Amino acid sequence: MRTELALSAKPLTAKDFKSDQETRWCPGCGDYAILAAVQGFMPELQVAKENIVFVSGIGCSSRFPYYMNTYGMHSIHGRAPAIATGLATSRRDLSVWVVTGDGDALSIGGNHLIHALRRNVNLKILLFNNRIYGLTKGQYSPTSEVGKITKSTPMGSLDAPFNPVSLALGAEASFVARTIDSDRKHLTEVLRQAAAHPGTALIEIYQNCNIFNDGAFDALKDKQQAEEAVIRLEHGKPIRFGADGARGVVRDPATGDLKVVDVTPGDEAGLLVHDAHAASPLTAIGLARLADPDTLHHTPIGVLRDVRRPVYDTQMAHQLDTAVEQKGKGDLAALLTGNDTWTVGSSS
Amino acid sequence: MAVQISERVLTQSPDKEVRRLNRVVIRFAGDSGDGMQLTGDRFTSETASFGNDLSTLPNFPAEIRAPAGTLPGVSSFQLHFADHDILTPGDAPDVLVAMNPAALKANIKDVPRGGEVIVDTDEFTKRAMQKVGYDTSPLEDGSLDAYRIHGVPLTTLTVEALKEFDLSRKEAERSKNMFALGLLSWMYHRPTEGTEQFLKQKFAKKPQIAAANIAAFRAGWNFGETTEDFAVSYEVAPAATAFPVGTYRNISGNLALAYGLIAASQQADLPLFLGSYPITPASDILHELSKHKNFGVRTFQAEDEIAGIGAALGAAFGGSLAVTTTSGPGVALKSETIALAVSMELPLVVVDIQRGGPSTGLPTKTEQADLLQAMYGRNGEAPVPIVAPRTPTDCFAAALEAARIALTYRTPVFLLSDGYLANGSEPWRIPALTELPDLTVQFATGPNHTLDDGTDVFWPYKRDPQTLARPWALPGTPGLEHRIGGIEKEDGTGNISYDPANHEFMVRTRRAKVDGVDVPDIEVDDPHGATSLVLGWGSTYGPITAAVRRLRTAGVPIAQAHLRHLNPFPGNLGEVLRSYDKVVIPEMNLGQLATLIRAKYLVDARSYNQVNGMPFKAEQLAAALQEMLRED
Amino acid sequence: MTYVIAQPCVDLKDKACVDECPVDCIYEGPRKMYINPDECVDCGACEPVCPVEAIFYEDSLPDELSEYATVDREFFAADPSPGGASSVGVAEADHPVVRAEPVRAAG
Repeated sequence: MRTELALSAKPLTAKDFKSDQETRWCPGCGDYAILAAVQGFMPELQVAKENIVFVSGIGCSSRFPYYMNTYGMHSIHGRAPAIATGLATSRRDLSVWVVTGDGDALSIGGNHLIHALRRNVNLKILLFNNRIYGLTKGQYSPTSEVGKITKSTPMGSLDAPFNPVSLALGAEASFVARTIDSDRKHLTEVLRQAAAHPGTALIEIYQNCNIFNDGAFDALKDKQQAEEAVIRLEHGKPIRFGADGARGVVRDPATGDLKVVDVTPGDEAGLLVHDAHAASPLTAIGLARLADPDTLHHTPIGVLRDVRRPVYDTQMAHQLDTAVEQKGKGDLAALLTGNDTWTVGSSS
Repeated sequence: MAVQISERVLTQSPDKEVRRLNRVVIRFAGDSGDGMQLTGDRFTSETASFGNDLSTLPNFPAEIRAPAGTLPGVSSFQLHFADHDILTPGDAPDVLVAMNPAALKANIKDVPRGGEVIVDTDEFTKRAMQKVGYDTSPLEDGSLDAYRIHGVPLTTLTVEALKEFDLSRKEAERSKNMFALGLLSWMYHRPTEGTEQFLKQKFAKKPQIAAANIAAFRAGWNFGETTEDFAVSYEVAPAATAFPVGTYRNISGNLALAYGLIAASQQADLPLFLGSYPITPASDILHELSKHKNFGVRTFQAEDEIAGIGAALGAAFGGSLAVTTTSGPGVALKSETIALAVSMELPLVVVDIQRGGPSTGLPTKTEQADLLQAMYGRNGEAPVPIVAPRTPTDCFAAALEAARIALTYRTPVFLLSDGYLANGSEPWRIPALTELPDLTVQFATGPNHTLDDGTDVFWPYKRDPQTLARPWALPGTPGLEHRIGGIEKEDGTGNISYDPANHEFMVRTRRAKVDGVDVPDIEVDDPHGATSLVLGWGSTYGPITAAVRRLRTAGVPIAQAHLRHLNPFPGNLGEVLRSYDKVVIPEMNLGQLATLIRAKYLVDARSYNQVNGMPFKAEQLAAALQEMLRED
Repeated sequence: MTYVIAQPCVDLKDKACVDECPVDCIYEGPRKMYINPDECVDCGACEPVCPVEAIFYEDSLPDELSEYATVDREFFAADPSPGGASSVGVAEADHPVVRAEPVRAAG
């Protein structure tokens, strides 16, 4: 926990974080589950409630701050990471959270997202991915599957989707995780690890939009299918999934690529052990890309990467301190005067 | 081999004629790599310390380094100095120093007949001349007979002067500009100690280079001293009455603006946060502010213009004095975020150093065509106060004023400077800290409203009845947690509201808040009870004032007023406009202020426009005004 | 806060609500469905689809059904958060209040 963060004087409860605003998401929206999980988790942070800020962009996801009884900014489409960067770097005593969506973060906001990740500013970015544009009523998004038929793509969408965690890993992100809206326990654990991470943390949350893209993640939620479809990652553990752990991930010695294999008792030792702290992001990217881009079959969830990198706001603060050490605290009169003056006395 | 610098002081020969002038305009011109800006800066510094009033106009090419010897690569520096107070860098140079044929070709048309032209004859090779379209040498074919040409083998002389130094020919040639500086310094009796000190300091880690440059400088001086071709030198006495008592320094507009922002943060006791992106001609402010971390200044070079202002807005939410700096194209990108700041009612200073547009336009040339963009360039009704400095030194006070309005009224504020002010310089009377305004902010600390049931709550949009400003509650303040954004909100509570009557009320209230910003009345200079008024804003102040002086000297009465606040206008402006039969508005655009004046005051204000990337010339402006005053 | 399932559900168990719930927090007892208050996220998707209007927001329970205010919460006393109804079968016993309800006539 950063020493700058102000701690709460008394223990907080989830109720303390509920605002007085009536929640206006569609009944059945996955956002409710995420809100409940975040409200349930916040007391654990032990940060003073008034020192927590939620910054969002535009989209259904971005209505989130209104329902949190903290300081919040509902800003403009795509720009939340930039705005939050200004807040986080100038107020290191605050715990700053960014709430965004697949459109807000990966379409218009793509540039700001990758730079926030590159800089490693102390921000926790919650990216609600419902694979559709909800607020504007149903256009396809940068994470929609190819060929998706929507209002703006009656003959099917043409562009291949992003894999958000792969993109984040490619943008030098120091903490990347993926979770699912309805798995409260998993979501909470990921939040916990992200909150403890110094620097930028990106959490992609698969979120069901039951109005415009209902069932997008059924294959990952249905008990039967999920076993085969979801690869649960845990640092330090061999990567196994499927009924009775019958499936696992290994590195193909010929190509170096990762692949999914059937596990036999004999070759358990050859299974890849998940190392979230590996210095190189290559294996994490490899894991991210096991997922089928359209069906999401074999999607990894959990914390893919959690490494230490210099934190931008810490370094910025350090530079300010160093400047004072070297030059002394700023003297405005000396600054205005400069080195090259002349005086005009009272005229004779 | 180390060559020692002697401490001998340069003197003027008593044998040559010395003439007195009350003003001189000199233009140094050469390749961008020739160091003309440095030469100009040094001459300016010498002139300032001598006590002349001065005004400068650097003229940069857009390319970093165009091919040597070509017209697009010519860079120049014009300096006007006098024994009285002056307002412009001069309409035309009395002396042109041309370091090569390209510099000559690009600038000779600005020199009036009889002007002096000093050329580096060594650079007038056949090839160099042909490169810029001289088939025959202008120095020999009589085409320059109207001017007094001084041909100087400057390159040869410089290399010769430095022969004792262990330098290659190319390295030695680089000191040509110092030779030229030395020569001109002799010609105008400029003090030289400052330049020698400067060179010693600049090259403190390379004493040989320092010594070489000083040697070149002295060689130039001595050349003027001894050569018959330079038979006359000139004195321009210090401007005794131009400067009120005080301590002075020379300063450029961008530097003054940067200092003004730092001063504002000190006066407000708030940390300064700059979110910015490099763009000509504003980048220097980013560079300057980044040097002052020991003042608690945070500078953030963002990934783009939008992130720059976004980060600034985030910092404003957290309680910083937040600023973003840019030019016209950047303002266009920032418009959505400015509107968000209008809706969220947070303080934010948006600095626009205007340049030639539209689109990429002319990055290194001046213009003042962003006024309507500043007034209207956002979706919906999104009023923003506008402050415009009038001179390079006024940029300091204007920055403080913009910060005052932003902090007091909780609003973004435009600070509209331009390339001419940004890079131009003049002497500045350094203010005492006690003269600076107090910008302390009262933050919200507790509930500000009692509900019907007696509960005390915090309403983020419950306004101060006088300023209509909303309370500013910073994250970290217990009990005042609230969420705000760009969606229309209910007055008082700040909750999202789509109610028709509320929206109408909020739109009109945001407008009323800006209309109610307290600004001083406009002052009118009208010593002869004229019937015509010339009204200006921004950097046209210098040329307009110079033109007005000429007109009055010629017996033409004319009143002058200059706006510093463009939104809201000063309260007495309507009355002032209506008290004159004719109102003329000279602008470096196609009539943007005139449009605003005509719309608001129903006055038949007439425009005189110039959009060529250069400031108005006083003579030309005077003639145009005179013509317009004569017409019905 | 949470939603609760009241008397009209008893002996009916239409289960339209289960299809709507995004977090799988509606569990089955022998005679009634039960909403887990810790897992419920207040999304309101279940309430409008119940054919007999048995589901209410906690605060909006009508007076005549007031005894159902705490039934669902107490039902989960032994295991407050089972982690999803689809991973758990039908419970063995109902809450005492439900057990005491007269059997609904068929029809």
